[in-house]
Amino acid sequence: MIKRALLVLLVLSVGLSPAAAQSKAWDILREIVLVPGVSGHEGPVADFIKGRLPAGFKAERDAMSNVWFTVGSGRPHILFVAHSDELGWTIDRITPEGRVRVKPGGGILPQTIEARPVLIHTAKGDVAGIVAPRPGYDDRPSQGEVQEEKPFTAESFDIFLGVSTEAEARALGVAEGDTVTAKKVLTDFAPGLMATRAVDDRAGCAALLDAALRLKPETIKGRTVTFAWDVQEETGLFGAAELAKTLKPDYVFAIDTFVSTDSPLESKRFGFLPVGKGAVLRSIDSSNVTPKTEIAKALAIARRRGIPIQVGNSRGGNDGSVFLAGGAVDIPLSWPGSYAHSLIEKIDRRDLEALTDLILAIVSDWK
Amino acid sequence: MAQRGTKIVAIVLLLGGLAGAARAADIRTVTKELFQVPSTTGNEEMLAAKVRGLLPKELPVETASLGTIAVRLGGAPGPTLILAALDGYGHMVSGITPEGYLTLDRPVPPPHPRFDGYLLGQPVVISTAKGPVQGVVSQPAMHLLTPERRKALVEGFSLETAFIDIGVRSEKEARAKGIELLDPVTFPAVLTELPGQQWAGTSLGVKAAAAALIAVAEGWAGRVGGDETVLAWAAQTKFPARGRGARPAVGAAAAQSRWQPRRTIVIDVVAAGRGDGFPFPGGGPVLIQAKDEPSALRRALEAAAAAAGAPLQVLTAPGSPLALPFAAPPSEVITLALPVRFLNTPSEVVALKDLEALRDILVRFLQPGGAK
Repeated sequence: MIKRALLVLLVLSVGLSPAAAQSKAWDILREIVLVPGVSGHEGPVADFIKGRLPAGFKAERDAMSNVWFTVGSGRPHILFVAHSDELGWTIDRITPEGRVRVKPGGGILPQTIEARPVLIHTAKGDVAGIVAPRPGYDDRPSQGEVQEEKPFTAESFDIFLGVSTEAEARALGVAEGDTVTAKKVLTDFAPGLMATRAVDDRAGCAALLDAALRLKPETIKGRTVTFAWDVQEETGLFGAAELAKTLKPDYVFAIDTFVSTDSPLESKRFGFLPVGKGAVLRSIDSSNVTPKTEIAKALAIARRRGIPIQVGNSRGGNDGSVFLAGGAVDIPLSWPGSYAHSLIEKIDRRDLEALTDLILAIVSDWK
Repeated sequence: MAQRGTKIVAIVLLLGGLAGAARAADIRTVTKELFQVPSTTGNEEMLAAKVRGLLPKELPVETASLGTIAVRLGGAPGPTLILAALDGYGHMVSGITPEGYLTLDRPVPPPHPRFDGYLLGQPVVISTAKGPVQGVVSQPAMHLLTPERRKALVEGFSLETAFIDIGVRSEKEARAKGIELLDPVTFPAVLTELPGQQWAGTSLGVKAAAAALIAVAEGWAGRVGGDETVLAWAAQTKFPARGRGARPAVGAAAAQSRWQPRRTIVIDVVAAGRGDGFPFPGGGPVLIQAKDEPSALRRALEAAAAAAGAPLQVLTAPGSPLALPFAAPPSEVITLALPVRFLNTPSEVVALKDLEALRDILVRFLQPGGAK
């Protein structure tokens, strides 16, 4: 009986890919994606990451909440970096009626949070609110009347907290400077395929954390490898800029979303790397052009290891570009992500696990 | 002996009060249970089944046309009808593209022009015969958005550019998940609990009003006396009958035809919290009449509210499609509505004290002498 069970286990373990057998990236992602961390307020995400790093790595954390660790010594110095911040809002003021107004920005289509729940992250804990629909939202134009719609913007909306005075709002703990995120809903299309807010770049964070957990330092010989989770990417690559003051890598692999046009609304003219078809080498984006020689090197490593890989160009920037001026080569790694910067950023588990495998393969094989 | 009788009555009243207190907690649970069940016009069967399951077993449930269900509370003949809706606004699957994306339509006209716009970039649930299927309504990626595309796909969002992604690559795969044309599409039931005992969620107003009527049936079960009353949860109340002039809700017209009530209380929802002239959330249920004039039904409801210690707001407004079929003299109709902030948005806000007041008024109204 025991022999039979062992045989079944053996067959199963042979049948599973190394990634599926070992990677915890998917589970990490489903946890970390729910941790609030609007740009400039990434402390809880930094806590999450630092709390899960293997004790053997000497992790550092700076005042901005950048987190990193370095293993090995010598050249080349290879840096992997994912950003821990997410899109969201900061409270600008509280009105006499107890409504909350936010500062401009956010990075998400404001229309998609109209009349939707949000969470305000206060010193006393999270407070739920509803983004009020635009005034007159249910007015019906009379016959022949053309209704001119006012734009719905971060500057124009307010958040209803269920109270009617500023004092009541403050009693909840709400204050200027608190951050606001959309209430996150995980849409599970199928096991291993989901959509939610903040996959950008918590998937990168999860991939890097998973790779750190699976990292075997003995594979790094004569080289230096740094894993970093940096802050404030969405608002201007500020965390990466801070790291660039001290870290002088030869190669930087930024781990971030590939803005895929795998969507019914996008032209397939470029960026059409399908979700579920593997990790991505982001050859050209709005901030970087990766030399073809480096793309070829990365492709060769992936193919040698049997890691599904796609190459494409799209839009958006990446943290690695900050290190270009210091002499680094930026080779962004990604997963194909549909609906970037939305409440429904889509990701496939296979792509995420391929990405972690690719990170580990590069750690081991990159020359 | 007389003294003992008084004591027994007092104990019965006390127990009745305790039962009432227990029910006060129940209406919240019932509302949460109903909130979880999608229900759009023409697709009310899941909610009807849920209501049926929550009703006291000693009250036989009648099924009327269109899927409307009702219970009859015993008493002297001469039906009083108390009618709530089963259906909320929503969408349905209108097609499946070769790539496996779903297209959308509405079973009924939208409550306002902005209604479809709330779909953009949102998670949705498709209720299929095989069970719920999760999906998202596509939106353009922010990085690829030119001003022209923003105007067309965001500001100009309509059902023409609404595609549901359910994570498949072909029509065949979509059908294998159970997707069929006409399957209802709704937002996930995510309840947000706000300070001040207020809840927010999609179609919450209709679900809460339906829950109030269940609580009334629970409060009634086992009693005798009063007038015969039909409590009905009507299907297809958002679908207007065809024809010229005022267009009554089909579900309400069918209920009128079946029960031909002498007097009707329509339990509805009303937009609240929009400033002067609008009902105030937390100010109590709203008594709505087409004309501000005294009537026996209005007096009875006002007396019931006073006896229940429940606040009541009064609004004069044209007859709603739900009330229209019952308005022909000598019948009497009044709408008792739950004030809802952000009505007909994905986050309808209901004050629980309004909901409990609605239940208390109706319970008192149905007690012997309460409807006189």
